Amino acid sequence: MAATKICFNNRLKSLLIVAFLAGGIVALRLADIQLLRHTHYLQLAEQNRTQVLYQTAPRGRIFTADGKSVAANAPSFNLYYLSAGPKDKDYLDRLAQDFAPLLNIKENTLLEKLNKGLRSGKALALAENLSPKTAISLKELLLYYPGLYLIEENKRVYPYGAFASHLVGYLGSMEGKEWKNRDQSLDYRLNAKIGKNGLEKKFEKEMKGRDGGVYLEVDFRGRVKRVIEDRKWRAGHDVYLTLNYAVQQAAEKGLKNSKTGRGAAVAMDPKTGAVLALATAPAFDPSMFVAYSDEPEVKSKRISEYNLAVQGIYPPASTFKIITAIAAIEKGDFDPYKVIGCSGHYDAGSRLFRCWSKHGPVDFFGGMAGSCDVYFYTIAAQMGSAAIEKVQRMFQFGQPTGIDLPGEKAGNLYGPTKRARNRSYWFIGDTLNLSIGQGELLVTPIKMAQFASAVASKGKIWRPYYLDRLVHSQTGKVLQSGKSEQLGSVNIQKSTWDLVFKALKHTVDTGTAARVKLKGFDVYGKTGTAQNPHGPDHGWFMAFAAAEGKEPEIAVAVFVEYGEGGSSAAGPIAREMLKAYFDVQEGN
Amino acid sequence: MVGYKSSSRKSKIDWLLLGAMLGLALLGALCIMSAVNALSLSNAVVRTHLIALPLAFMVFLAAWSFNYQIFDEQWKPLYGVIMALLIGVLIFGTYQRGSKSWFVLPFFSMQPAEICRVLTILVAAAFLDRQGRRIRDMRTLILLGVLVGPIFGLIMMQPDFSSIVITFPALIALLYCAGINVFYLALIAVFAAVAGFFTIAWTYLYLHPALLDYKILAIFYKLASSVWYMGGFCLLLSVGGYVFWWIFKQLRIFLPSFYFVLATLVVAAGFFAGVFVDHQMKPYQRKRVEAFLAPQSDPQGASYNVLQAQIAMGSGGVLGKGLFSGTQSRLGFVPEKHTDFILAVVGEELGLWGTLTVLGLYLLILWRISAVAYLASDRYGYLVCSGIFGMFLTYMVINFGMLIGLFPVAGIPLPFISYGGSNLVSSMLALGVVQSVYARRITSA
Repeated sequence: MAATKICFNNRLKSLLIVAFLAGGIVALRLADIQLLRHTHYLQLAEQNRTQVLYQTAPRGRIFTADGKSVAANAPSFNLYYLSAGPKDKDYLDRLAQDFAPLLNIKENTLLEKLNKGLRSGKALALAENLSPKTAISLKELLLYYPGLYLIEENKRVYPYGAFASHLVGYLGSMEGKEWKNRDQSLDYRLNAKIGKNGLEKKFEKEMKGRDGGVYLEVDFRGRVKRVIEDRKWRAGHDVYLTLNYAVQQAAEKGLKNSKTGRGAAVAMDPKTGAVLALATAPAFDPSMFVAYSDEPEVKSKRISEYNLAVQGIYPPASTFKIITAIAAIEKGDFDPYKVIGCSGHYDAGSRLFRCWSKHGPVDFFGGMAGSCDVYFYTIAAQMGSAAIEKVQRMFQFGQPTGIDLPGEKAGNLYGPTKRARNRSYWFIGDTLNLSIGQGELLVTPIKMAQFASAVASKGKIWRPYYLDRLVHSQTGKVLQSGKSEQLGSVNIQKSTWDLVFKALKHTVDTGTAARVKLKGFDVYGKTGTAQNPHGPDHGWFMAFAAAEGKEPEIAVAVFVEYGEGGSSAAGPIAREMLKAYFDVQEGN
Repeated sequence: MVGYKSSSRKSKIDWLLLGAMLGLALLGALCIMSAVNALSLSNAVVRTHLIALPLAFMVFLAAWSFNYQIFDEQWKPLYGVIMALLIGVLIFGTYQRGSKSWFVLPFFSMQPAEICRVLTILVAAAFLDRQGRRIRDMRTLILLGVLVGPIFGLIMMQPDFSSIVITFPALIALLYCAGINVFYLALIAVFAAVAGFFTIAWTYLYLHPALLDYKILAIFYKLASSVWYMGGFCLLLSVGGYVFWWIFKQLRIFLPSFYFVLATLVVAAGFFAGVFVDHQMKPYQRKRVEAFLAPQSDPQGASYNVLQAQIAMGSGGVLGKGLFSGTQSRLGFVPEKHTDFILAVVGEELGLWGTLTVLGLYLLILWRISAVAYLASDRYGYLVCSGIFGMFLTYMVINFGMLIGLFPVAGIPLPFISYGGSNLVSSMLALGVVQSVYARRITSA
């Protein structure tokens, strides 16, 4: 035996070792695939074999404080063809003939689609986003046509059209970047509609809900084998706003019917800072982005996303005289009954400053009521500009209100200190301009509402908020609630407030703001007409009101771009808002 | 027990080897039925396989009872049989998937190349056995090349690359075990590596045209395009060979200059083989190389197969989804599921245990073949076992490697498990010969 073995070498043994080494590597890799990455591959396998006919979940609704649903959902229907039914040409021809008119597509197109579905064997959407009206007629037909499948899903509707459109926002399809950066934890589909603006965008994550779907098992060609599961959707969470439906409606109607149809109106609760109305004109109807496919399409979908209420900055004009007055009273040595003569202009030495009218002799109340520029020129010249700037800072001019809306402008504070910081000189003319709210002073309408509410609450500067609460769609639990937040306070003597209140009431009772007078209520107001070198003047109106002898409950600021007169353009809108708030019925 | 030391006196059959083979065949039959989604005999694939199985087993029994030394004595007629089969298929064969490699007879069809793989090993072993002590000479290698060259040539004419992919490494293993000079083996390896390198590099450049901005790579890419480039390349090679020879001389390391000439020639031959393969490659084969180089580039395209196979295997997990319940294979996501990718079905339905069992049975078979080789009563038995060992090792490495992404998809079945009568017959024939070697081992102590 030993002799024969001589010619056998050990090389096959080394090959056996190679074989075992290779086997070891293969075993490790198999363990890697089948043990360590099992879940990953299992997921891929499930994706492979399932086709889902998705059902968009109802989006979270948006309610006003008084329970009107501004954004809601309506059923919409998708018609699928699962190539399971009869396949003869006669049947398909009949099918196309019957369905084409209902689906608002051509018979040939439908037949082509059917044949394509038949060839591929895949579940094929014949029509998507059909209205309930069409669906009812379809349901009857479906009894005669096996192989067709009608699936209900949800779509957004806006029952009040353009109501609070800039706040509510609108929906749109995902664009490249949005799809790339989408929240992976939510089950977005390529054709999903997402919030593009306003609350729809801000609460996208909360309002989206979870889509339902019919899960089908398909083979590698996509041919449907069976229904695995019919998964129910979960509705998105509901948003409740602090908005008062009537006030908002009044504001929008007023702005729409105003002289130019451009402007903003804001109402706030001076006790909390809650926003009661936030209207911007021109508004848009977000419904046009979510129409049914069988409805005639809106041709032009151009909208103005510019939210004038928080993004437009203008001089506050005469409404600012309240600050000039507070500054003068606080400076001390101020006699409200001292009479100043208005001859229609004020001589500042080098230049003549005009008043908008010839008021004759006026005291503080008359000056406020008549919005007499000369009166305020005179007291401003006496106290100096620094005092006015100080009060301006107390009211936080030149700072955003901090409302939770994108793109809010800060406006511009105007005064000698600010000017000095910019290394420039301050002239007497600047003081006079400042005293009547012109010049470099700039504010947004929301800022003016905050200002009105600060005056109404005697010095409380609120951060305006519009979210009352976010409510879980199933448990009813409050997930998030809006908080009243005081940003600062204006610390001045009570007697000063009393004087200002008296003057503002006088303005409504007898003066320029007489238009907002409401019987049975204490209304305080001030008009403003912002001079505009580029065109017609802008109209301002700020007011606050209380039931007789009570604390003020509502503060409003109305702005009409190019409205010319504060009283004539903005006044009636403010009045309608107050009327709506107090639910005053007046016979015409 | 069955260990060769204790029972070598009585046993006429290696039970472990037989058991492993039958175990794989049983597992294979079940998985094929599951893969084609049919328990009934009405399915053509199942029917064919269940007919092929006993047929192959009969061939196994015949080979076992035959004295294998006949193949050694009658190697020349055997060689004639190979040539007859391969020439016959080129004349009478039928085209399937672009290659003329099938005999289609009224009741069944067969692939002669499958049987020829085993016969080639038998013939080559016989030839090497006769060389005796001249085995280390260059002459042996050249003569063997002359012997098997026509076989390869005929197979290439079909063309059937996968047969080459199996037979070539099996012959290398046989040569290695026969005791050939390792330097020559290294040259063969260099030849294969150079040929493979050029093919793969050109495909890679073809896939990444941006790289052609580099002048050197652009010239490299164009090497195969004209005779002038090729000539230049060969000139460069000879200069390189000379320079190496000169350097070694200066270093006072004296090697025969013959070695340098040989090395240069081999590299040049590898280059031309690469050019040849590159020109001959069919689009689908190039796609496979592409898919191997960049699996993620086109998941729906060429690398789809491997990806789907891995998804099926991975989704099976440790315990598997159970026989006849694999979704991926049953819904048709796994391609070639009952042939080349049968392992994916095993992995999906029987899990990691299933795949490890198959792997384990393969290693068991390899171990038994090598054990039988050392028990053989003559050198021919040892050589035959070495060649068959090399063949099964290649099958195992390539088929598993393809599934786990370590090898390009080569269209290699997994013997005993995959569907395919010809392969089953030839594999059982091979193990029958091994059993014959075992049965006729030295029985006296």
